[in-house]
Amino acid sequence: MAKLKACLLAISLVVACQIALAQDEEPEAPPLQELPREQTLILQNPEGTIRNPGWFNLWVSGAGGGLSTGLQQLMMDTFWYIDPNQGIDGPNYNSLATGPAEYNDDYTEMTVRLREGVYWSDGVEFTADDVVYTVETQMNTPGMGWSGAFSQQVERVEALDDYTVRFTLNAPNSRFHSIFSVRWNGAWIMPKHIFEEVDNVLEYDFNPPVGLGPYTLHSFDPNGDWYIWEKREDWDRTAMAEFGEPAPQYVIYRNGGPTDRRLIEMRNGNLDVVHDLTPEGMFAIVQQDPTARGWFSGFPYAHPDPTLPMVIFNHQNEKFQDRRVRWALTLMLDARALSMASYRGAATLTAIAIPPTGTHPDDYHIPMQEWVSNFTLEAGGQAFQPYNPDLTLQIADMVRGQFGDQVPTDEDEIRRAFGYGWWEQNLEAAAALLEEAGFTRRGNDWYMPNGERFSIRVMIPPDGVINRLGTMIAQNWSQAGVAAQVEAAPDSWDRQSVGDFEVNIAWSIETWGGHPDLSFFLDSWHSQYLAEPGELQPARNWQRWSHPELDRIIEEVRRTDFYDLEANIELGKQFIQLMVEEMPVIPIMSYNVFSVVSERYWTGYPTAENPYANPVNNWANSRYILTQLESTQ
Amino acid sequence: MRAYLWFVAKRALQLLAIVFVGISASFFISHLSPINPVEQTLGRITTRSNISPEAIASLRAALTDMYGVDEPLWNRFVNFWVRFVQGDMGPSLIAFPTPAMTLIQRALPWTVGLLSVTVVITWLVGNLLGGLAGYYQNNRLLKAFGVLAMGVQPIPYYIVAFILLIVFGFVWPVLPISGGFAMNVRPGWTPEFVASVIRHAILPATSIVLVGMGLWFLGMRALVSNIITEDYVTYAELAGVKRSRIVGSYVIRNAMIPQLTALAMTLGGVFSGTVITEQVFSYPGLGTLLVDAVNGGDYGLVVAVTSVAIIAVAVAIFVVDLIYPILDPRIRVE
Repeated sequence: MAKLKACLLAISLVVACQIALAQDEEPEAPPLQELPREQTLILQNPEGTIRNPGWFNLWVSGAGGGLSTGLQQLMMDTFWYIDPNQGIDGPNYNSLATGPAEYNDDYTEMTVRLREGVYWSDGVEFTADDVVYTVETQMNTPGMGWSGAFSQQVERVEALDDYTVRFTLNAPNSRFHSIFSVRWNGAWIMPKHIFEEVDNVLEYDFNPPVGLGPYTLHSFDPNGDWYIWEKREDWDRTAMAEFGEPAPQYVIYRNGGPTDRRLIEMRNGNLDVVHDLTPEGMFAIVQQDPTARGWFSGFPYAHPDPTLPMVIFNHQNEKFQDRRVRWALTLMLDARALSMASYRGAATLTAIAIPPTGTHPDDYHIPMQEWVSNFTLEAGGQAFQPYNPDLTLQIADMVRGQFGDQVPTDEDEIRRAFGYGWWEQNLEAAAALLEEAGFTRRGNDWYMPNGERFSIRVMIPPDGVINRLGTMIAQNWSQAGVAAQVEAAPDSWDRQSVGDFEVNIAWSIETWGGHPDLSFFLDSWHSQYLAEPGELQPARNWQRWSHPELDRIIEEVRRTDFYDLEANIELGKQFIQLMVEEMPVIPIMSYNVFSVVSERYWTGYPTAENPYANPVNNWANSRYILTQLESTQ
Repeated sequence: MRAYLWFVAKRALQLLAIVFVGISASFFISHLSPINPVEQTLGRITTRSNISPEAIASLRAALTDMYGVDEPLWNRFVNFWVRFVQGDMGPSLIAFPTPAMTLIQRALPWTVGLLSVTVVITWLVGNLLGGLAGYYQNNRLLKAFGVLAMGVQPIPYYIVAFILLIVFGFVWPVLPISGGFAMNVRPGWTPEFVASVIRHAILPATSIVLVGMGLWFLGMRALVSNIITEDYVTYAELAGVKRSRIVGSYVIRNAMIPQLTALAMTLGGVFSGTVITEQVFSYPGLGTLLVDAVNGGDYGLVVAVTSVAIIAVAVAIFVVDLIYPILDPRIRVE
């Protein structure tokens, strides 16, 4: 027995020594008692465990350091931010810039005036030299995140004085400034005085980081599970100061783990903000924790993300080149079933190719209601209007039985939460369209004009709401006589990029959310970028669709001032009309994020009633939320 | 003695051959993966930014050159072995440019610490109780333990882990449910750190012990049940040898040989981590690292992790082979 004890003791000592030695070179974590809970905000880092936790050089591509650790939210800065929602003072924030980008008449020059009195966290003043250094360094260093963009587009960058920078472009581009516009990511400014001392910027870990944001790194887990940030004493010497003092003294980003663990940690008071949950997880947490709430205080709780889950046809596949076939497949879908299967009814549907989030309902969805209601199709010699504006009201009624008072009753509220309608399932019209396209039906089975069975492989991710959505889409098609087969692919995004799919359930439309400009996703839809079958398609025209009218709209956008909202909205409407008429993809719904906050320690989070920011806490613009929070303790 | 040395030399050569074949196989299998690490990295960069298509092409060229994926597979294989014998497994793609071995060194102590302790405890207790249950077949307590072991054994591991997580993290929240140590503890050789590590290891360790012990228990009980029918046990009992001596020196000892072999292989397997445990409890070990590497298309890191596991298992079997003659006098090297 004594030998056994000695053996166990020796093993324990060896193991403890191994672990202790492995941590020796890493920074130290503070005792938690130095981080009073009432001054500490704890958020879930959706990136999970960070594999290269000591790496903060976010200008190097794919280095394994995390961005959603607080690094890009709390420490970094650049000229502008765009919020997918309303923003504190409008969705466009001037951060390091004092105003919008100033272009010359033909959009070949962009001048930026910089804010004075902004200092790096080590006390050095931020000037135009930092901007010039950032751009020139990346132009000269392939492998950095923005090196390709800058080297392709910038002919010259110069500091006109300490606070003015001018970019001379290789070609006219009215959207060049969007490189420096942040929702989640952007061209962050580098501290020249740090990086110019480094031999190889690609191998420099930038640890500890020096930033322009109101927080500095306090400590981090050498295993990559948590990061602690501390408010700078001179937070008022950052661009954020214009919007107020950030409330928490400490901000912790930590790995939340799987859904069940996130729920438990929030219920136990160890997480204030959960990035995302399943619908079931959301329903459970509001029952378990009275301090927890989602974007909407009741059903459907979720925040509509500016991404648009959809049916993506591969237009280089012969099956989907006839508009009548694409419309027939649309009319086979039952939106009620899609909503219930994916989000258990908590979906925000959209019939048009714009996600129903941020300012888009006011910019596009509401103004387009009349046009889309009057939109007419012809099938079997009869004209009909496929749009049903009451369909989302029906879904609200369907879930009211289970969720009762949680479901809004006001029609405007219902439409904001559930969407403004969708296409009514119409199997007869779908059949007529297929027959006009040369298809034949034997029993309930459809055959293509070449005599082969009309079959579709539907690629979906292996899990999550999109998996459930795709499964229901395939089921709808199958019930209507199409031999649809679901193919769950862990690498669906990679396969989509090279066109290795027939139909994919994903998204190729992602907007700013808080601004009506569509260039964020639309510019790469131009036919000039169309890849050959099998070759990698540049993001985001993964449907590989081209159309002369589409090219015309894109070229118009390129010549239109970003800040001319009226002109941008008009072009956006033309795009939407083209998408409805041609139906190159079938828009379904916004990607609803079940972002949950606990009001146990902090209040003042953005909500549907006060939508001043996107609540998803890994988006860089979430830093503005910190200025609106109040401690409850 | 000469025969034994010759045996050792032959086994050492076999060991090298096994390691070479195993690691080469893992290299080729992982490199046949359809996931392109350059495209994977590009995907991460371009999904959330507005880089122009021309810029992506430029970035792709830079990444392809950086990662060396445009070289023929045979060149990559030769380069891999040249670097391998120098202890260099190349950079990780998911944590570029951090060397893969650095990531392994960071994760290894956690996995080895958790698994070696739990495996040894499970093995000792499971075999001891199994041996006693096999010999004292009418003992009620040991019978009850047998029923419990047979009841727990078929339950999938992740169910047991999840039940522990719910019970001690949610219903009666007294134990930490994730991580290797608390945020409030400074990593280092201090009582606070060691206590925090142990506290965070309780739930994952308990889940492993609960499931693993039953297997050893049932295996040992079956072995002992056969051994007690042997003549020498009957003779010992008839000769009046004390029962405690019979069970300890004659029965359990003789039943230990196959259990020792299995222990060695299990300990070797410790170096490949335990994926489900680490996923459920967010334990910072090799299993989590391996999952991240697979998901990230980081085949260099996958090969590095599997290579460590292959070497560990092969060496463990090698050592067992060498000590067999010492443990069991019936085995002779010819």
